[in-house]
Amino acid sequence: MVELVPSLLRQELAALAANDQRIDGRGRWDSRDITLETDCLYNAEGSAKVTWGDTIIYAGVKFEIRTPWPDRPAQGSLMCGAELRPVAGRKYEPGPPSPQSIELGRVVDRGIRESGCIDMDSLCIIPGEKVLGVMIDIHVLSDKGNIFDACALGAIAALRTAVVPAERFDIGEDYPLAVSMTPTMCSFTRVGGRYVLDANDEEELGGDERIHITLGDEGHLHSLQKGLKGTFTPAEFDEILGVAQQRCAELANLVNSKEA
Amino acid sequence: MGGYGDVKLLREDGLRLDGRKVDEMREVEIEAGILPAADGSAWVKHGLNVAVCAVYGPMEAHPRKIQRQDRAVIDVRYNMAPFSTSDRIRPGYNRRSREISKVTAEALESVVLVERFPRSKIRVEIEILAAEAGTRCVGITAAAVALADAGIPMRDMIVGVASGKIEDTVVLDLDKAEDNYGQADLPMGILPTTGEIAFLQMDGDLSVDEYNTCMEYNLKAAREIHELMVDALKRRYMEKNGGEA
Repeated sequence: MVELVPSLLRQELAALAANDQRIDGRGRWDSRDITLETDCLYNAEGSAKVTWGDTIIYAGVKFEIRTPWPDRPAQGSLMCGAELRPVAGRKYEPGPPSPQSIELGRVVDRGIRESGCIDMDSLCIIPGEKVLGVMIDIHVLSDKGNIFDACALGAIAALRTAVVPAERFDIGEDYPLAVSMTPTMCSFTRVGGRYVLDANDEEELGGDERIHITLGDEGHLHSLQKGLKGTFTPAEFDEILGVAQQRCAELANLVNSKEA
Repeated sequence: MGGYGDVKLLREDGLRLDGRKVDEMREVEIEAGILPAADGSAWVKHGLNVAVCAVYGPMEAHPRKIQRQDRAVIDVRYNMAPFSTSDRIRPGYNRRSREISKVTAEALESVVLVERFPRSKIRVEIEILAAEAGTRCVGITAAAVALADAGIPMRDMIVGVASGKIEDTVVLDLDKAEDNYGQADLPMGILPTTGEIAFLQMDGDLSVDEYNTCMEYNLKAAREIHELMVDALKRRYMEKNGGEA
């Protein structure tokens, strides 16, 4: 379904921005309230439900035994995918994975993969023959803006609480998956000409380009992505990176508080 | 039905492996209106099954070739999340989900007053988040609550229930082991007020007497679940009105 961008909404957002206000009354760097539940799905080896304002997503971790890639015979694998099914909102349609859902899954995947929080060598069972594949699937149930941050939070929370079902695979006793870090994402959207943190659905509809920043421990950058039409200046990036440093640390604390 | 008759599913004391009596169903919890993006929604936990349903519409039926001059079309998608089963499911449609979507849509068309909304479409999105036997029935229950939550007129609710046979004994509401190793499964979508049946599938082996017992169990369970559905909708209504009924 094509979404019409009402010029009235754009005008309103611009007028609010001129007075340093937002359409839902938040400050420029304020996030909506977040609720994180973990271990909430039977059958998933790790799971999380994120309620981020009115946005709701689930993430589930599954494992499989597979043969390693020929060029990495002693390493397991990690895959993270996101589904934007029609359940998530009126604008979503059935069909093969959309470019939006592929981008979402890949940006979240990169943040987790490149942080090095999973030691791929530790996923090896028999070099050259048997390794563990870790698969994170993200399911967006209600898109009311900023699904990127919600999905990244759910993915790392599900991963950090995952238990390898070793008994089912006949490779010993079940054990918790070793995850050494908590990468989290902060997204910024240009609304009314300036960047804001955690845009809601109206701000996304009447806004412009977005920037996704994934930071790991000690504020190191692990994944960046600019999406949609528009440009930004280095000074603007410096400003939002400063906000992301603080915000990502808070999100990581939230995830770490959920560990068993 | 696998029909592996050598797996013990009934205990010495006549109870089932999880301690239920033969005519006892798993615990059911229902919430209405849980997805802010949807026009109507529901969450149903039935035993270890979890289903979520979102309803959108009535909206313009698109593409136009699916439009009906005299009624709304109901577009159902039943989908299992990749992490909902013990082995991961590859995302996307398969033959099983297509068939379940089709018969579920036809069941819902039998209760929704589709002639009120000519040329339009009502989207029903059923997502199974955790599966432990009987997900199509849980999906139907969730869809009915979500349709009611969306304010779409129906002549009755519809409740998904199933009975079956294990070790030559008829039991209500098969769990995973009973479904895998039992002898028959009879899922139904029942209109709780009139007792009419809008959804029916069956596989396995049942005598006529056994079928009748299944039917009796299903009707009883449908009335019980119906009360929970009504409660969930009432709670939702009170919430919208600041606690006043």
